[in-house]
Amino acid sequence: MHTEAADHFFNPRNVGDAGEPSFVGRAASLSCGAHVRFSIQVDEAQRVSEARFRAAGCDVLVAAASVLTERVTGLTTAQAAAIGQAPAELSDKLGAAGSEKCVEMACNALLDAIREYSNAARDDWAGDEALICTCFFVSERTIEREIQARALTTVAEVTNACNAGGGCGSCHQLIQEILETNDLPR
Amino acid sequence: MIYLDNNATTRVAPEVLDAMKPYLGEFFGNPSSAHTLGREMKRAIEHSREQVASLIGATDPGEIVFTSCGSESDNWAIRGVLATRPSSKHIVTTLVEHEAVRNLCRLLENDGYEVTWLDVDRNGELDLDSLRDALRPDTALVSTMLANNETGVLFPIEDIGRIVRENSDAVFHVDGVQAVGKVPIGLKNTAVDLFALSGHKFHAPQGIGALYIRRGISLSPLIIGGAQEEGRRAGTSAVPNIVGLGAACRLALEDDDHARIEQLRNLLEDEILKRIPNTRLNGVADRSKRLPNTSNISFEYVDGQNILLHLDQAGISVSTGSACHSTTHESSPTLRAMNVPFTAAQGSIRFSLGRYNTEAEIETTLSVLPEIVAKLAAMSPYEQLR
Repeated sequence: MHTEAADHFFNPRNVGDAGEPSFVGRAASLSCGAHVRFSIQVDEAQRVSEARFRAAGCDVLVAAASVLTERVTGLTTAQAAAIGQAPAELSDKLGAAGSEKCVEMACNALLDAIREYSNAARDDWAGDEALICTCFFVSERTIEREIQARALTTVAEVTNACNAGGGCGSCHQLIQEILETNDLPR
Repeated sequence: MIYLDNNATTRVAPEVLDAMKPYLGEFFGNPSSAHTLGREMKRAIEHSREQVASLIGATDPGEIVFTSCGSESDNWAIRGVLATRPSSKHIVTTLVEHEAVRNLCRLLENDGYEVTWLDVDRNGELDLDSLRDALRPDTALVSTMLANNETGVLFPIEDIGRIVRENSDAVFHVDGVQAVGKVPIGLKNTAVDLFALSGHKFHAPQGIGALYIRRGISLSPLIIGGAQEEGRRAGTSAVPNIVGLGAACRLALEDDDHARIEQLRNLLEDEILKRIPNTRLNGVADRSKRLPNTSNISFEYVDGQNILLHLDQAGISVSTGSACHSTTHESSPTLRAMNVPFTAAQGSIRFSLGRYNTEAEIETTLSVLPEIVAKLAAMSPYEQLR
């Protein structure tokens, strides 16, 4: 591990539980014995206002979880999910070659916590608009509004603008269709 | 550095190094040579052989053959016996053996051999009735350890040998690697036929082992070549290492430090179990049934590798049975066989003391450890700690 990663292991940041209401994700492996718990608090702008972790696992897992809590704080849940979906990049940053699985586990716990948040938010969803992105509960109307307001042309731009498509990716086709129907002459 | 990992390897004793030095310098000959220098080398080897024989209570030095390490001794013992008994295809061993025996027996299972794996109880002890039941007319070999490397639990090799003799024609091999130099051993009046030992576990250098072969036991050679070691083990003898092994045997016999080491071990073990919550001893509580230098303790719900790294940062060396350590991703088979719960096996630390440890070092360890464990417990995701 790189020096900075070792520092995160010996002096882990943000250990504990995020304040309530929080959303909790876990990942564990019976083969290597690691167990990690991520908790996040999300504000009204869908930004992670607090991220905390607990872990019993190897040094790489602890360092990865600690680094993740710092990196995702202040980001939108979609941006946080994007970091969680790129464990290889985090492994590189930590110098954790050979322990990619441990980094992945920390990422999975983060993604699990974000999913918890999305599920809870979806349960609260009261709108009567068609829901396109079920991971981040973004409606068709919101997507159309973003496309028109910002002259978006690609799915990636849509995701960047309003989170839609940043989770499981199953709505990418729908977003593409919305993009095509909104492809108005400007 | 406070070194509490003497079951992994030990520091070469100054007495051992002094004994070896001439053989790394002016005495550089090949012991197979007929000239004066060669004969001096040969003499040194035979002197060493006597010292090894004396430490393990062999009947005569001719029963000792030098090898490169404990694993070679174990491999040779097992393969050597099987080669002389081609029609016997049954092996009895235990689930808690060192990899040298365990992995070889697993390999032999794919090679047409049937292996009976004896289990241990929660204390790490064998059930001798199950050994008796396992023996068959076609049992070629029984192989057990004397002392478990992780827990220090001792197997009663006198009783095992008696049962093997009375109920079978099997050859009885003992992996004594972890026990030699730590407990008295007298093979003469036992039914042990083969006995493996390794120098670096008791202050000789790495790269030297020996196999005791009881007179009358025939063993096919593993390494084929020249006529060294009476044709039993080819390869130019590693004279400096052999001399080192002999000196280490003499040291273990004459300057035996077991009582003092045991006192320090007891202090460490008692105080950890008393001062730190959620701890448990792995291995039988009766200390007369364990090595005097070893304590295997689980710190439940925290990670052993994390404890190890924090202790290391504090200058204290230990080892762990946690799954995610070094290169393996498998929790300790010994602790699994003992039914140690997963969350406890993950947090297991082996403290193994040696002749150079002092009471001050144990006190330092006891002052550092509780804080480390408390810090990791505060980070633990397990709800049991909350």
